[in-house]
Order: sequence, then C-alpha cells, then structure tokens
Amino acid sequence: MRKEFWQEDFEVLGKNDLKKLQVERLNATIEHAARSPYYKTLFQQKNIHKGDIKDIAQIRDLPFTTKQDLRENFPYGFLTLPKKEIIRLHSSSGTTGNPTVIFHNRHDLNSWANLMARSLFCAGIRDTDVFQNICGYGLFTGGLGFQYGIETLGALSIPAGAGNSLRQIKLMQDYGTTAAHAIPSYLGRLYEVFQSAGLDPKKDTKLKTLVIGAEPHTDEQRKRIEEMFGVRAFNSFGLSEMNGPGVAFECEYQNGLHIWEDAYVVEIVNPDTLEPVPDGEYGELVMTTLDRQSMPLIRYRTRDITRIIPGKCECGRTHRRIDRITGRSDDMFIIKGCNVFPMQIEGVLMKIPEVGSDYLITLVTLNGTDEMVVEVEVKKEWFKGDIRRLDNLTKMITAQIRDEVLAKPIVKLVEPGYIPKSEGKAVRVVDNRVNGVTKENISCS
Amino acid sequence: MAYEVSIFLENKIGHFERITNVLKETKINIRSMAINDTVNGWGILNLLVDDPDKAYEALSEKGISVALRKVIALEMKDEAGGLDDLLLQVAQADVNFNNALGRTIQETQTAILVLNVDDYEESIAKLNAKGIKILEDQKVYGNQ
Ligand SMILES: [Zn+2]
Repeated sequence: MRKEFWQEDFEVLGKNDLKKLQVERLNATIEHAARSPYYKTLFQQKNIHKGDIKDIAQIRDLPFTTKQDLRENFPYGFLTLPKKEIIRLHSSSGTTGNPTVIFHNRHDLNSWANLMARSLFCAGIRDTDVFQNICGYGLFTGGLGFQYGIETLGALSIPAGAGNSLRQIKLMQDYGTTAAHAIPSYLGRLYEVFQSAGLDPKKDTKLKTLVIGAEPHTDEQRKRIEEMFGVRAFNSFGLSEMNGPGVAFECEYQNGLHIWEDAYVVEIVNPDTLEPVPDGEYGELVMTTLDRQSMPLIRYRTRDITRIIPGKCECGRTHRRIDRITGRSDDMFIIKGCNVFPMQIEGVLMKIPEVGSDYLITLVTLNGTDEMVVEVEVKKEWFKGDIRRLDNLTKMITAQIRDEVLAKPIVKLVEPGYIPKSEGKAVRVVDNRVNGVTKENISCS
Repeated sequence: MAYEVSIFLENKIGHFERITNVLKETKINIRSMAINDTVNGWGILNLLVDDPDKAYEALSEKGISVALRKVIALEMKDEAGGLDDLLLQVAQADVNFNNALGRTIQETQTAILVLNVDDYEESIAKLNAKGIKILEDQKVYGNQ
C-alpha cells in the first residue's frame, strides 16, 4: 500500500484523541515552562500549576505571551534548561532593541525536523526528490529548518542558499532539481533571469514542486508562480518563535494549511478584545508550543492575521487548516468602522488585469470624515487613451474593494512608476488622519 | 489614416513637463493639444504632432502610458463661422465625436479640425457619403 502520511498515528487522529493528547502535552509544557525564570514568577503570581488543565478549552485561563515579553527577558529569561543542554539558537535580526532568540535542545531540533519532514511529505515531496533550498542559512530559520526537514524526509538536499540566480539555475540543471523552496517575491526575479538567459523553467528544468512562504502573498501570486514555472506551489507557514518553518503546510488540495495540532495549541482571537473568534472569522493567531522543552511558549501572540477554515479536508488529515496569512495585526487599520488589512486590497487589485500590483493606501480626513484613498497604477499596455474606459475602471475597482472590506474607498489611478516598488515589506499604508487611528463605533458604510 | 497621441496624465506638478521634455529631446513638434480633465485627479492629454509613431515610441520607452488613436481630419475655412459650417455638415452626416483638436494653416488661410470618433470606418463612410473631404495624413501632421 502506498504510504499516504508521514505519521499516520498523529495526522489522522480523531478529534477527541487529539484533544486528549493536547491536554497531556499542555500539562507537560506547563511543567517545563515553570522551570524558566519568566514563567516561574508568572505562574506563582497567577497560581498556575501543572495538571491544572483538564480540558483544552481551559487554555484560555492562561496568560498571553508577547514579543515584548521575549525582548524584556532577553536572552535567557525563558530558558528552562541549563545552557549545557542547549545545542542551537535562532534569532531575529532586530535592528533596534533586543532581538528575539529561541533556544533548542536535541529533542526540540528532532521534533522540529520531524514536523518539517511531515510538512514536506504533506505537500507531496518524497525521498526520491531533489530539493533545492533557495533560502538564507544562518540565524534565519528558513535555511536550517528546511535543511533538517529535507534530510529527515530523506530527499537529496541542495543547500543552495539565497540569491545568485544564475548559479541557482545551474544547480537546478546540473542535479535535476525537482523541488525547491524560496520566498515568492524572489521567484519572480528568478523567472526573469531564466528568461534573459533564454531558458524556460517549464522545459529546461525538472521542477515539479515549489514551496513558498516567509512573506505574505495572495493566491493570485501563487497561481502566477505555478504558471511561470509549470509546477504546483505549496504554501508554507512558520515563525521563529514557533521554531520556524514546518508549523503549518498545505496538502495536495491546496485549500488552507494544516497546522500541526499535536505540536501546537491554536487559537484565533480578536486583536482588540483578545476574545476567541468563531471558526471562519479572521483574527490574530495565538499559539502554544506542546513539544518544545528548552523554551516553551504559552499563548504566544503571533500578530499574524488568519482564520480557521471550517470543515474537513479531503486528504483525511484531522489537524485543522488555517487560511493564508492576510497581514499582521499591526497592519490592520480601522476606517468607517471596518477592520481592513492591506492584503485584502492587494488581493482585489491582483485580480484586475488592467492595474499593477503596486498600490498605496492613504488614510486622510476630508471635511471631517475619514477616507481611504487607494492609488493604483494603470498598466501601460492597457492604456488606450479612452477616458470612459478609465472612468469605468475606477468605478469597478471602487466597487470591488468595497465588497471586500465593506468600506468605500476613493480610488485614484496614477501613472506607472509613481508608486514606490515593493521590496519585501514595503510601506503600503500612510495614515494622515487628523486623529490618527480612529475607532469610532459606527457601522460599516 | 491619421493618429493623435493620447497620454494618461496625473494632475501633479511636473508631470506635464515630463511629457513635453521627452518630445523636446526627440525633436517632436506639437501642432495642437488638448487636455481632458476629470474629477479623479487625472486626465488625458491629446496631442497632434508631426511624427506620431516617433512620439509614441519615445514616450513609451520612458514608461509613460501612451496610446495612438485614429482620428479623422477635416478642412475648413479660417474665417468667422468656418467651424460652425463644418460642424453642421458633420452633424448632418450623423457623425458623433468624443474629442476634437484644431489648428490653422496660415499659408492657405484654412484650418484643420481633428476628430476622435467611436466607429472610425462607419464615420468615414458617412462623411464620404456627404462629400466631406478627409485630409491626408502628412497635411494633418503639418509636414507639407
Ligand atoms: Zn489536507
């Protein structure tokens, strides 16, 4: 029989068995955490003990942990073990203030490598694949995280590192790369290098699978990547505070990312009230590690905005699926009483062929009313000199954004090249409102 | 057939000059121009130039949104009532137009009316049926 799962025991666990496992592991996590200076004090203050948790819903009685807590207790405040036991650290590149650092012992690294292998298997990658990891190694988790996962899975790994597109193409051709991991924005540039070298990745490589992640992207971007390279592209989600990649991954159905609930307790909360939201509604992802010994984190506020996709996945895995990340809770703004994430607007624009994907949202106060001005570029090749066509385009974009975010924008068409090109995390929202972020209690208009 | 050069233009300082600068560098002579302004902060600049293809290429190369649009050029007398006489004929021919440019030719005491229409072929046929003369391209561009 063909092997369908990396770990059938865990991946298709029934709902009740999964909850039972979570309760068991959460109590163990509390026990581990209580050995760290930070949680020891906190648990004493809040009267939290191991064995307190009888039902996984009781996790709501536990306090949240924030990035600020990690920074304030830098570097060892969350460490549960003597340094002798620790074998690796990964750290964010904080340019201001303390970086965020996560420590791992051998158990933690093995657990992470296993989750990563499970994730790759879930996306259809097998030990027969040649996997090129086009990603920076070092403190960034995307390099070593994937590396250990590929090796655990048993595929042939090419630790290519980031950049140097011509060398990436040569590696692909020399070793017959069948699968690769890269950030979505890089793949666009790589494709251009293929083209300028007179090559077509569809014909001139053996690529069949791409894994994309580490930066927010839309489903339209994924489809473009799939067309450019003639592959299937799978969404990968992770964050260094939860190890790195391998937290949640798409399966062959490409309809949301299975988040590994034997390793994490997953909650979605309203970022303002911190109350849980129902499945299907967007909110901030809150995660608790269940299998990390050196540095457990309890109810960590990831600041990533997503939702649980309701219903069962056809692949048979019982772990729930999260939707692609639509932004950071910090990026969210409120206009006319509606919560808006810039990625929602980007998603609308990417579906309209006449406009480019570069845009700028400016929040302004006009005659005492807050307005959202969305500037979009009209693509050169679509311009036919017809004023009515452009007027209709403006109306169409206005209506589509309004349908998506429920607040009516003021859409302005601009000449190509006048909006700064996005380099990774570009500024997409400028808030020039008189009262800054206003949170008036008016209904969506 | 003759062409006008249509350009997408934002109502912002320096944007118009960016266009005219490209034309200056390319030694394009502007015979006539009109700006259609809209309330949305942008408009369409229509230009009649001596070499539309060259203007299109130069502007396009600079990343400017530019299009060539077919136009119909008609001749009229450069005197009081000349335009009215011509427009009456155009209306009688049942031809509707979106925008117009005009310029005079001093040597011949005549003027040119340049029209952008929705249905080019049909409009030509209607004007021909009424015996209204359509000018040759090089005359429209002011090259002869
Ligand atoms: Zn699935």
